[in-house]
Amino acid sequence: MHNLTEFLARYKHWFLFVFLEVTSVVLLFRFNDYQGSVWFTSANFVTGKVYELSSNLTSFFTMSKNNEQLTQRNIILEQEVKELSTKLYEKTRDPQFLSRGQYRTLAKFRLIPAKVVANSINREDNLITINKGSWDGVRKDMGVVCGNGIVGTVYFVGIHYSVVIPVLNSKSNISCSISGRNYFGYLRWAGGRSDIAYLDDVPRHARFKIGDRVITSGYSSIFPVGVLVGKVKHVYNSKDGLSFRIAIQLSTDFGTLRDVCLIDDSSILEQRHVIEAARDSMKNLTQDPTSEE
Amino acid sequence: MNTDFLKRFLWASILIILQVFLLNHIHMFGIATPLLYVYFILLFPRNYPQWSAMLWAFAIGLTLDAFNNTPGVTAASLTLIAALQPFAIRPFLSRESSETLIPGMRTLGVFNFIVYIFVLTTIHIFTFFSLEMFSFFNLIEWAECAGASTALTILLILVIEQMRSRI
Repeated sequence: MHNLTEFLARYKHWFLFVFLEVTSVVLLFRFNDYQGSVWFTSANFVTGKVYELSSNLTSFFTMSKNNEQLTQRNIILEQEVKELSTKLYEKTRDPQFLSRGQYRTLAKFRLIPAKVVANSINREDNLITINKGSWDGVRKDMGVVCGNGIVGTVYFVGIHYSVVIPVLNSKSNISCSISGRNYFGYLRWAGGRSDIAYLDDVPRHARFKIGDRVITSGYSSIFPVGVLVGKVKHVYNSKDGLSFRIAIQLSTDFGTLRDVCLIDDSSILEQRHVIEAARDSMKNLTQDPTSEE
Repeated sequence: MNTDFLKRFLWASILIILQVFLLNHIHMFGIATPLLYVYFILLFPRNYPQWSAMLWAFAIGLTLDAFNNTPGVTAASLTLIAALQPFAIRPFLSRESSETLIPGMRTLGVFNFIVYIFVLTTIHIFTFFSLEMFSFFNLIEWAECAGASTALTILLILVIEQMRSRI
């Protein structure tokens, strides 16, 4: 007994070492599926607050530049709206057409504006922290967009902050299609440059041009149809030669991301519930074929 | 709560703030990021209680992980070098060395000190990048990032050490 206590006392730091290492490794590997680990990410209150303060400070200094860009964008959009509404009026001869249509699409979504408080683009798995959490109505798997296009999906939800998986993450997997042609594939990122992502699994018979717009397909049950993703930049063959792999110039500049919007769409939620229910019932079928009566 | 603890606490806070707000945003040539916080581990004096050194390393690692969204990665690799630190310093000690010698350019000699920080920094950074890049591992990118970051970190530590010894 004496020997044992002596042994323990002598090597206590090695036990501590093993304990600390095991704790770290557990944290590392459970991060992906363990909701409680929100405390160890930047979605927790302290780190979120610190990042918010620093981001407020930097945004103050870049404000004038942002303002200028927004004003320019506004002018361009206003011109576009004027042009399009005159064209629409010529076609339909109905001055109320536009406002009715807009009201219909807006009623479907609720947009939650949020600010990016922490962001990275240089890692293998980038994550973005935003300053809205469950108190503001944020839920897991909500779509996140910004003025220029797609950003990502909500991953962790804290009380006041959330962590978003942007397109620039190996785990991001968003269903997209080529605008006007309806071929779809999955948007993935291969690391490296922050403005290029790849659309995989596009069928070989698909016809499209370099420069075609790529938008969300609405199949992923996270984004509605038609959120801009980017433009076709280059086409490769997939490794197995069965499909195309399209390099896409992303329209979102993740390096300067500041203001984003979360899409709260009740119909999308319903769609997901149906899909999940269908998947669950399929699972039961494969596990226990006799239960089908 | 003695002065040694408070001093180390302040020093650790400065290193963490510096790392989170400044150094993490540096990517020289798109690959090299200085990880200056290893400096904290390098400065543990000879015969400093090992359990205490490891707890410091773990706490700093966990704080940085919370900011970087890399749970466990920094904590694991920093605790590792805290455990190895006494062994790394042993070969450079002579019989006349003080019992509570603090590793530095003056106490170890410039060349010995460089070897000492090279060994520990390399171990830390290569473990760090191995754990971080788990998802899509690319050998060349891994070696480039880890090598360049190690070089930059060592350079930065030497510059700070030089400045400290002047004062």
